[in-house]
Amino acid sequence: MGTRIRILSGVVALGLGLTACSAGAGSSSQQQQSGSQGQDTVTVALRTPNWILPISAPGFTQGENDIFATALYRKLYSFKLDGSSPDNVDPDRSLAAPPEVSDGGKTLTITLKDNTWNDGKPITTKDVKFWWDLVSANKDQWASYKPGGFPDNIASFKVKDDKTFSITTKQAYNAAWFVANQLNRIVPLPQHAWDKGDPKTTFEELTAASKDPKSYATNPLWKTNSGPWKLQSYVPSGEVVLAKQDTYSGTDKPKLNKVVLRPFTGDDAEFNVLRAGQIDYGYIPPANLSQQSYLESKGYDVSPWYGWSITYLQLNFNNPKTGVLFKQPYLRQALQMLIDQPTISKVIWSGMAQPTCGPVPPKPGSPGGQGCVYPFDPAKAQQLLESNGWKVTPDGQTTCEDPARCGEGIAKGTPLNFTVTSQSGFAATTKMFAEIKSQMAKLGVQLTIKEVPDSVAVTPACKPDESKCDWDMSFFGSQGSWYYPAFASGERLFQTDAPVNLGSYSNPEADKLIEKAQFSADASALQEYNDFLAKDLPVLWMPNPVYQISAYKAGLQGVEPQDPMNLMYFQDWSWKS
Amino acid sequence: MTAVPHEEEAPVRGMWRQGLEVFVENRLALVGVGLFVVLAIFSFLGPLVYRTDQVHTDLAKVFLLPGTEGHPLGTDGVGYDQLGRLMLGGQTSIVVGLAAGLLATVVGTVWGAIAGFAGGWLDAVMMRVVDAMMSIPALFLFMLMASIVTPTVPMLILIIGAFAWLGPARLVRGEALTLRTREYVMAMRGMGGTGGRAVRRHIIPNAIGTVIVNATFQVADAILYVAYLSFLGLGVPPPAANWGGMLSDGLSDTFSGHWWLLYPPGIAIILIVLAFNFIGDGLRDVFEVRLRRR
Repeated sequence: MGTRIRILSGVVALGLGLTACSAGAGSSSQQQQSGSQGQDTVTVALRTPNWILPISAPGFTQGENDIFATALYRKLYSFKLDGSSPDNVDPDRSLAAPPEVSDGGKTLTITLKDNTWNDGKPITTKDVKFWWDLVSANKDQWASYKPGGFPDNIASFKVKDDKTFSITTKQAYNAAWFVANQLNRIVPLPQHAWDKGDPKTTFEELTAASKDPKSYATNPLWKTNSGPWKLQSYVPSGEVVLAKQDTYSGTDKPKLNKVVLRPFTGDDAEFNVLRAGQIDYGYIPPANLSQQSYLESKGYDVSPWYGWSITYLQLNFNNPKTGVLFKQPYLRQALQMLIDQPTISKVIWSGMAQPTCGPVPPKPGSPGGQGCVYPFDPAKAQQLLESNGWKVTPDGQTTCEDPARCGEGIAKGTPLNFTVTSQSGFAATTKMFAEIKSQMAKLGVQLTIKEVPDSVAVTPACKPDESKCDWDMSFFGSQGSWYYPAFASGERLFQTDAPVNLGSYSNPEADKLIEKAQFSADASALQEYNDFLAKDLPVLWMPNPVYQISAYKAGLQGVEPQDPMNLMYFQDWSWKS
Repeated sequence: MTAVPHEEEAPVRGMWRQGLEVFVENRLALVGVGLFVVLAIFSFLGPLVYRTDQVHTDLAKVFLLPGTEGHPLGTDGVGYDQLGRLMLGGQTSIVVGLAAGLLATVVGTVWGAIAGFAGGWLDAVMMRVVDAMMSIPALFLFMLMASIVTPTVPMLILIIGAFAWLGPARLVRGEALTLRTREYVMAMRGMGGTGGRAVRRHIIPNAIGTVIVNATFQVADAILYVAYLSFLGLGVPPPAANWGGMLSDGLSDTFSGHWWLLYPPGIAIILIVLAFNFIGDGLRDVFEVRLRRR
């Protein structure tokens, strides 16, 4: 009885608590012109980074580590996707000018700009070569390493002088692809401060130091930086304070003196502190999206942070039962026409999602969902099914009536009956699939929605004869299915046997176009690839949710535009005077 | 002169009637029965009178306020009528609660009776199984199971029933330990009666009071377990509904002022759990022999 009474008391208390919270939503439109810790500081909700070495390591590739490392160490190339510069290279933040391509596209010559380390020493090709030697000698321990990729695909790395070096590849690449997918990983490292002679020994020491977070703020290794910030204090699993680097040589100098990165035990804890106004920059967990107006009334600006991403529903082409169905293009088209992306984005995601129309995301800032090949059209979907031999039974079970027209391997009486393995814990995702299930049921396509905590883990790429290949459709895009580097090519997603091609989609034409986008100098190759896959539907395109719904004090400026590649440039931030 | 019958000559009232009288004396138990009847009528007969579409979503009618024409309790985030959904959700909650509670009671009773009556190594093994399963947090097991299989109503009944029988098993085993040494059981055994007969004809019937009282609490617990699982997103998938899932959905909308999505399912859960607890208290009075008038 005691337990039951406690449970009931809890439910009642929960209700009362929520009422109190709702009632407490007073309005305060007064904009704050300084942060919770003063005019020169900003407090940011961010998980504690746990990797400082700007060479990524397996298990330490979380977004906060990239943000942290970028604050301390500038990359050879930074990117902005507004289309204003060649190869999307951000000329202000990058340490080098865009490469000059020669030798039929095989050689890229790169010239460093004049920049210095915080100790005054110039950043030279020695620092780039130092990075190169470290990753070449220790590539198996580098998280970004993929066999056949960087550095395996490089024939030679030559230093010409202090400012110029060249990279010759084993085969000609599309320069835009190579810059965005390979050169984007280069981070010049302070050779004069870190080099112990042997790349293996040096790498071991650096890795060991990076695995010791409690010494981050005191270890002399991490005192030599090229970025706009230096590490002032670090508490393992706690608060991290970045201080302005007075000797920063870049043009984007910090305007604030300090940035405090404050971690929280969970989304609810973060959101409660945000509601209390105790942090300057945070995020609204998706479940609390309806709090937007409350936060705005408390002096926050709420801004969707669109990622350079796409979202899709994976189809298992290798499923021994339903794979034959997915292999029929008309069926994929009919299913796609039953997903009302614009309405779902607007109503269920409250405008915090945009329709996905193809494998290449729309340009940041442009409205998504323009010109989808298969817009929501149930009547056309029905006509498509019926014209291909299906007996459509609205709100019943649609079955194949004419196997000759249904397609190869589809027997008479085969039902359109699929299980979607989706993610639990996302209210909008649950509602979205309720809507999709409802729309599909109207044409007799029966979906069973199964929510699991980790949908990727239970829907692996598989062969038809494997027991784990019984999944039909998989969704893992509640926060976006796939985030791209600056060049959104598909060699990892949709190429035959690609590592993240979980549904085992395979189309020789798509393979050809993906290769073309990767290796040809033809600037239109990426568009051709996008147009083909947008039409061929290797997956079902779904509303693409924002990376994060950011909320920041209205007096904080420079936050926008938020980087679609999920980095944060605190040096641009300042308080309105 | 009319002969006044002696008190001991008065007709002995039937066991059921005596029990009913004791039950009726417990006002809260009557309230519990009333609550249950009202909620069951609301859930199962309500949809026959108040017809709504609980299969198709309608994104053009989301979050309509209570009192909007055709939607006395408003609509939810995908356009389902909230009153109709409450009825549909009640069906799942009540069916799963009753069936899982019954399943747990039957399994637990048989298990506990056999263990308690048999004693020795069999009792030790059977009860260590119970102890081992009890040492694992039930909620963790429910989540694990629900994530492995696709939750449907029969599956939820099986999952909850499969773990909720541990409590009744312990209770009945305790009763069986006492009952097996009673004279009538010993006599039956002495006359060649089998252990199975002893369990069937003596142990379980004599522990029935404990079993029935516990069963009501099992039902209440099962309804709460459905609510927990749904709260964690592991309940029956849409368009099916249950009060726990509705409460969970409503919680994410609370801060935006959509109170009608939170309070009705929350209140419904509280009421049905209270109803079964009150009924359980009343039944305990019924089976407590000392409360009966001879």
